[in-house]
Amino acid sequence: MEVFSDEALNVTDSTDWLNTPLACLMPVEQAFRCHVCKDFYDSPMLTSCSHTFCSLCIRRCLSVDSKCPLCRATDQESKLRGNWALREAVEAFTKSRKALLEFAKVPPTVVAAPPDQNGSSSPPKRKATEMDGAKQEDQDIKRPRRSNRSTKTRAAQLTAAILEEEEDTNTTPSADADQDYVDQPPDDGLVACPICLTRMKVQQVDRHIDTSCPGSPEAAAALAAKRPTPQPIFPSLNSRLGQNAQTQNQKPPERLPALAYSMLRDTALRKKLSELGLSTHGSRQLLEKRHKEWITLWNANCDSSRPKKRSELLRDLDEWERTVGNPGASRIGMGMAMGGGMGVGQGPMARAQAAGAEIKDKEFDGKAWATKYGGSFGDLIKQARKGIKKQNLDGDEGNKKGEDGKEGGEKSSSPAELPTSQAREGEGESSSAAPPTPMEIVPPSSPPRPEQDEQQQTPGKARLLTEDTAMSGQVVPGTPEKGQWKTSSQQPPIAGDA
Amino acid sequence: MSLNVAQRRLLQEYRSLTNNPPEGITAGPISEDDLLHWECLIQGPEGTPFEGGVFPAELKFPNDYPHMPPSMKFLGDVFHPNVYPSGLVCISILHPPGDDPNHYETASERWSPIQSVEKILLSVMSMLAEPNDESPANVEAAKMWRERRSEYEARVKASVRASLGL
Repeated sequence: MEVFSDEALNVTDSTDWLNTPLACLMPVEQAFRCHVCKDFYDSPMLTSCSHTFCSLCIRRCLSVDSKCPLCRATDQESKLRGNWALREAVEAFTKSRKALLEFAKVPPTVVAAPPDQNGSSSPPKRKATEMDGAKQEDQDIKRPRRSNRSTKTRAAQLTAAILEEEEDTNTTPSADADQDYVDQPPDDGLVACPICLTRMKVQQVDRHIDTSCPGSPEAAAALAAKRPTPQPIFPSLNSRLGQNAQTQNQKPPERLPALAYSMLRDTALRKKLSELGLSTHGSRQLLEKRHKEWITLWNANCDSSRPKKRSELLRDLDEWERTVGNPGASRIGMGMAMGGGMGVGQGPMARAQAAGAEIKDKEFDGKAWATKYGGSFGDLIKQARKGIKKQNLDGDEGNKKGEDGKEGGEKSSSPAELPTSQAREGEGESSSAAPPTPMEIVPPSSPPRPEQDEQQQTPGKARLLTEDTAMSGQVVPGTPEKGQWKTSSQQPPIAGDA
Repeated sequence: MSLNVAQRRLLQEYRSLTNNPPEGITAGPISEDDLLHWECLIQGPEGTPFEGGVFPAELKFPNDYPHMPPSMKFLGDVFHPNVYPSGLVCISILHPPGDDPNHYETASERWSPIQSVEKILLSVMSMLAEPNDESPANVEAAKMWRERRSEYEARVKASVRASLGL
């Protein structure tokens, strides 16, 4: 594992407990982990079939299959309910996990050490000072908690010692506080008001509560500070609720409804996306996927106890776009929309998209298209032939990169480098196919789609095909040149993320 | 850059497989640069003609793993009704969720995000032991398995020996 990054090292698993004395915690930890992502539950949600998954996991599953991944019962996102008790349990467990695991991994030599050595070794220092010799025996009898120590193993003793130590440090201050209020009432013949704890004569209490009792002791203090604001009767409870209310106010409250995409026209869908502040680029399919993913991310975020900011969600969406949604193309889609760094405005993009749609149309007039753009095709052929010489020199490397199916780099750089008209057509053609391929225009006389599909599946083969078509006078614009391939090799999308 | 869902989950599975290796199975990413590409070794199950063999295979995971299944391909020669001559494994657990358009498999047998590399490899081991000849990937092997079982077993044994260099 040490070869991976820091974050990879943080990936934990329930099997970490194996080969430790606490191996029995493995099933406990398993119960705190989502079946889909195998990580600790993040905003656990209950399905109608009473299974629990992370909010994001189950929402993704339902958007793919509409079925519970465990029992395959049909379910809907709107029926999911939060499992907040589990959320708290997971939070508590994850907080203590590290300490527990460290404890479980204490080398056995320390555990097996005789007690008098224990006293002088580093962890139980407090133990040594607090309880030594016979005193320890006494405490064993006095405290029922410690009488649980029936197992005589050294490990158990050590556990108890450490637990005790923690407990001591935890309880000491609060115990002191308790003493102030309750344990040792001053012997002054007065009683404390049950609400504000002010001390008074017994017969005064009723009238005090009816008229002048300010509420809790803190409120009394506030009153003493001459700030007569109306106090709720149970301020401590309210303040706790208030905290929750506050977090609820901070979180994005409205869940987004799912859209029936089949009922929406392209323009309407684009409008919805732009209303949400999302990119409106890409094929219809990509638009739908993007919208769906955003709703999933957004709604899952609504379930979170610590919701992310919108900008973080947008980053998540961008990440999704780069890896899952439309690997490679996002630098054109999201990159342009969000950063606008490519130096090409959105105008050509929109036109390119329109052109792409036109070509895809069944009644597309290939001849007219060929006549109209014949000149550009000619230029492109020339350019392609020039390019091929370089490409052949650099071919091996190129093929290798191409096979990875991550040709994002050269695509995004080509529009800037090609003459505008060519760039436009290139964009149009390539945007008609979902995953980006090295820029290629297939003249309308031959059907554009199958060839593209083939290219996506077998890039190596496609390269040959590209060369053939170029030789036979067909068009290969934007043939990746040496520099461009380098660009793409500098941006290995997936691996670079790790 | 942070790990995405697929990478994180694969690391998790790798950790689990390292901490608690199941019998007869070894698997892990080929390189730290690409967590979506794994190599694995499967032992031939005992009591089958594959016994004694060790079969290397590669697993390729999609970017939306675990919502979509990986593909699995044997790197050596595996003569089996459910393994294409190319080595690609055809088994219901590796088929994406939803119903099979050919109605060979019910949805319950197909991929679900709760499955894992370990479960896939265990399924493949049991597939080696008990072929499913309903939708054969290798028709020749399926026919031979159905009609001339002893010839099938002899052929498998021979290829296992050959793969071990005996």
